[in-house]
Amino acid sequence: MNISSRDIILLAHAAFGVTGCMAALWVFVEALSARPESARRIQTAALVAAISMAAAWICGGYWYVQFYPAEKALILKGPWPFAHDLFMETKEHLFFITGILAFLLPITTRERLYANPAARKLVLSVAGLIVVTGLAVEGAGAIINHGVKVALIRDAAKVGR
Amino acid sequence: MRVSAVNAASSALGPATSGFVLSAAVTVLFNTALAWAKDAYPQLNNFMKSVGGHHWTTHGVFDLALFVGLGFIFTKTRVGEKIAPDQLNRGFVGAVTIAALGLFLWYEFV
Repeated sequence: MNISSRDIILLAHAAFGVTGCMAALWVFVEALSARPESARRIQTAALVAAISMAAAWICGGYWYVQFYPAEKALILKGPWPFAHDLFMETKEHLFFITGILAFLLPITTRERLYANPAARKLVLSVAGLIVVTGLAVEGAGAIINHGVKVALIRDAAKVGR
Repeated sequence: MRVSAVNAASSALGPATSGFVLSAAVTVLFNTALAWAKDAYPQLNNFMKSVGGHHWTTHGVFDLALFVGLGFIFTKTRVGEKIAPDQLNRGFVGAVTIAALGLFLWYEFV
């Protein structure tokens, strides 16, 4: 098995992103019927979401700056150039929005959600938007990955002819 | 505890919550506007690259600084509390939706 640190960084980026989305979903579900006894769990899940997204930001950012240029060149020469032009360009900036929302979540969950309908609605909005934008970012990552794959397959097919 | 919690029911948001929600709404719109500007003006992209080594790194630092800076300013000045919580929530969701769709539509059509 030959797994390089660049592979681990990329996989960690995706794994932390999914963990952040799942923690935000946890907050969303708990907030639907918030009670005094669930306050601690909600705050813990919000903190997990923020820390996971920060880790995804650091891993993804490092990988993007250090290793992505080579993959970008492959994608642009391959049959799916939109994997970079549309999906990576959107993803790299949409991720900032998901990150900011994740950092906002622990602040909003400090309110007494069980006694404050406005705060509960706000937490549902923040958590829900983290899940939606986070999954969109994950999906874009899969398309970018496939953009590289189809470029490599085409090159391999040319060599094989 | 349940009785006292219900008795203390409120629909107001604390200064930090309302301040940072308002800050997040401004920051996500700024994020999209900066992405558009970098794409439209390569000089800006180059400038941001010269500041942080990579335009994306600088972009992220600008976003974080704006979110934290505005968050503390709005908390201290209690600006967010002057907006009704439901209105703040709607404005926040609207800002995130516009910012997110604005990115996708820009890179699809421009």
